[in-house]
Amino acid sequence: MEKSAWFVWPFMLGFMFALAVLLLRYLWWLRSLLRRPSSRLLSRMFSKHSLLAVREIFSEGLLHLRIYKRNRRLGFMHMSLALGWFMMIVGGKFETWFHSGQFLHGTWYAVFFRYFEPQTVGGWAGTFWLHYMDFGLLLVLTGLALAIVKRIRKKVLGIHSTTRHTLVNRVALTFLWMIFPLRLVAEALTFGQHGGGGFLTGALGRCCFTSGTLAGLELPFWWAYSLSLGAFFVVLPFSRYLHIPTEMVLILLRHWGLQAAEDLQPEKALQAFEIHACSSCGLCLDVCPAIKDHPFQSAYFLRALRSGKGWESLASTCLSCGACEEACPINLGLEKLRMAARGKIHEKHHAVYSYLPTVGPVETSKVDVLLFTGCMGRLKPATTKALKDLFEEAGLSWVHLDEQESICCGRPLALAGRASEASALREHNRSLIKGQQARMLVTTCPICLKQFRDDYRLELPVYHHSEVLWSCLSSGSLKREKGTACFSYHDPCELGRKSTCYQAPRELLQSCGTLLSLEREQADALCCGNSLGSLSLSLSERQALTSRTLKVLEVPGAQSIVTSCPLCQHNLARQSSLPVKDLAEVLAVTGLPEQQGQRKAALAAVQEL
Amino acid sequence: MPKPDFGFSFAPNRALELSVPLLPEVQAVLEAEPSIRACMACGQCAAVCTAGVFTPLAFYRLVLQLWAGEVEVVGQRAQHCMLCGKCQMTCPRGVNIRNALLLMAALLPPKP
Repeated sequence: MEKSAWFVWPFMLGFMFALAVLLLRYLWWLRSLLRRPSSRLLSRMFSKHSLLAVREIFSEGLLHLRIYKRNRRLGFMHMSLALGWFMMIVGGKFETWFHSGQFLHGTWYAVFFRYFEPQTVGGWAGTFWLHYMDFGLLLVLTGLALAIVKRIRKKVLGIHSTTRHTLVNRVALTFLWMIFPLRLVAEALTFGQHGGGGFLTGALGRCCFTSGTLAGLELPFWWAYSLSLGAFFVVLPFSRYLHIPTEMVLILLRHWGLQAAEDLQPEKALQAFEIHACSSCGLCLDVCPAIKDHPFQSAYFLRALRSGKGWESLASTCLSCGACEEACPINLGLEKLRMAARGKIHEKHHAVYSYLPTVGPVETSKVDVLLFTGCMGRLKPATTKALKDLFEEAGLSWVHLDEQESICCGRPLALAGRASEASALREHNRSLIKGQQARMLVTTCPICLKQFRDDYRLELPVYHHSEVLWSCLSSGSLKREKGTACFSYHDPCELGRKSTCYQAPRELLQSCGTLLSLEREQADALCCGNSLGSLSLSLSERQALTSRTLKVLEVPGAQSIVTSCPLCQHNLARQSSLPVKDLAEVLAVTGLPEQQGQRKAALAAVQEL
Repeated sequence: MPKPDFGFSFAPNRALELSVPLLPEVQAVLEAEPSIRACMACGQCAAVCTAGVFTPLAFYRLVLQLWAGEVEVVGQRAQHCMLCGKCQMTCPRGVNIRNALLLMAALLPPKP
C-alpha cells in the first residue's frame, strides 16, 4: 500500500475492533445454546423458517415497514438511512468486482474505491454503478437531513417526544452524522480534481472543486471520512447502534423457535438479544400514557437493563398497559421482560397460601355458563346483578363459581413478577371448575380473562361477558332496540391490547345506542391509571393519568362512559363528571323494548299533568 | 399462687414510643414504599380482603405493628396476601398496599 493510502487504517482498525467485540458478545450470549443446542432449533435452521427470517430482516431491518405504517415520514427517515447504507455496501462489492474482475478484496478497497479508482470507466455498466452509488448516498443524506430536522423540530416528523440519549450514544450519533457528508465531499473533491463521477458527487465536484488549489484538501477529507467511520465502529458495540447487527440475529433466532426466558438474564440467550436489539427509536414514547410524568418507557427501561443500573424503579412504576409493546417496530416482548425484571426485584418475596379452603367434589348439573366475577367483581355487585339478569333474559343457565369468597385468579401476582407463587391460587380455582359440566366459563374481569385463557389450560372456552352478550344479541336470544343514548367506550388494557377484544363491546353499544368515536381508542387507547401492573406509582400520578384519559373520553355529546373492566370503571368513576358504567349495566337497563314503552307512557303521563 | 380470674385481662402497653428509633428493616420498608406513612388505619382494606377472611391479615393492623416494631408478625402475615388489589382500590389515602405487602413479606421474613 502506498503511503498516501494509509488513511484507510482508522477505518480498518475500528471495523476489526467492532467485529471482534460483537463476536465475543454474541458468543457469550449464546453460550448455553452452543453447549446444548436444542433439536428444535437445529431442525428449524434448515427450513423455510430461515427464508421467512430473511424476509423479515429485509422488511424490518432495511425497509422499516412497521414504522412506515405508523408514521410515514419517520418510516421514510429510518428506511432511507438503512436502505441507502445497505445499497452502498452491496453496490461497493459489485462495483469493485466489476472493475477488477476479482470478488475478494480488502474491506477498505470497496469503502474507499473512489479514491483508488477515480476514473472508473466501463461503458454503460460502469456508469450504472456510478449513478447507483450516488443514489445510495443521496438516500442516506436525505435520511440524515430528516434525522437532523427531527432533533430540532420533532413535530415536522409527526412525533411529540424523542428519546433523550446518553453521552456515549450522542458521541456515536455525531460520528454517524459526520460519515456521509464527509464521504460526499471527499468523493466530490476527487472527481473535481480527476474528472468523472455520478450525478451527485460528479456534479458537485465539477461545480465546486475543480480549482487546483483544492487538490491539497483531497487527502485530508478522505482521512476525516475514514476517521469518523473508524470512530463510529469503535463506539458501536457500546451504544444503541449495537441494534443494527443484533436485530438481524434476533429475527433469525426468533424464527428458529427460540423464546425469551421467564426470569431476568440480560446477558443470556434470546433475552440478551432482545435487550440489545432496541434502537431507542422512540416509538414507545408517544404511545405511553405516562410520558409526561415518568421516564419509565421501554426505550429507557431497556437502556437501563443494558447498563445494569436503575432498571428496578422503571420496571415497578410502569403500568404494564401494553401500549409500547403494541407500538414496538421489532415486536420486542416488553411485557414479559418487565415481568422478569419485577420477579428479580421481588425474588425474596415468599407467599404462603396453605389457608385456602379445600373444595370438595362439586355437584355436577348441566349449565350453560360458569360465571367467575373475580376479586374486582366483588366490588361491583351491580355489574354481576345486571349480567345475571341478562343471562336469565337470554335463557342461559349459570353457576356463580366465586359467589362466596373469591380467590384471586393469579394474574396480579404474575404482574408483580411472582407467577410461580400463583400456582396455589390457580389450583384452587381449577378445582372449582373441575367436574362442572358447562359450555363455557364467563368472567366479568379482563384480568381474570387473560389469566384463565393463558395459564389455566381449561377444557372449556373462556369468554369475557361482552363476547357472550354479543353472541346472544346476534343469535336473537337477547333483543335490544337502538335508543338515543350516546356512549363513549373506554378500552381496558387487559381486554383490548392484551386480549385483542375490541369488536364485541362496540357492537353491543351500537345495538342499543350511539357509540362516539374518540381521539385515542382500540389499540391506541390510554390506560385508566389504575392498572394492577404498576406497583409503586403514587396516587397523585395515577390521578393525573386518569384525568388525561377522561379528557379523551368526555367528548361533546357523550352521556355516559362505558367500559368493561371493574377496575377501569371504579377508577374512572372517581374523577369523571359523567356516569361510568359497565357494558352489562348499560345493556340491562337501556334499549329494553318494554322499558322504552314504559318510559314513553310515563312521559305522556307527565305531559298530561 | 394461681392468678385470680377477673373475667378480663390486661394487655401490655402498646403506645408508640416515638423517641425510640425505628428498626432498620422497618426503615427499609418505609423507604421503598413511602405511601405507607399515609395510612390512617381506617380499616377499609381489611373490610374487602379475601385473605383476611381466612387468616389474621389486615393491612391497617400490619402498619400499626410495623410502627411498633413487631416485624416478625408483620412479615408472617404479609405472606398470605394474594395481591389482588381490592384493598388498594378502596383505600382513601392512596397507599400502594400491594407493593407494601410485597416488601413486608420480602424484607421482614419470619424466622424459620
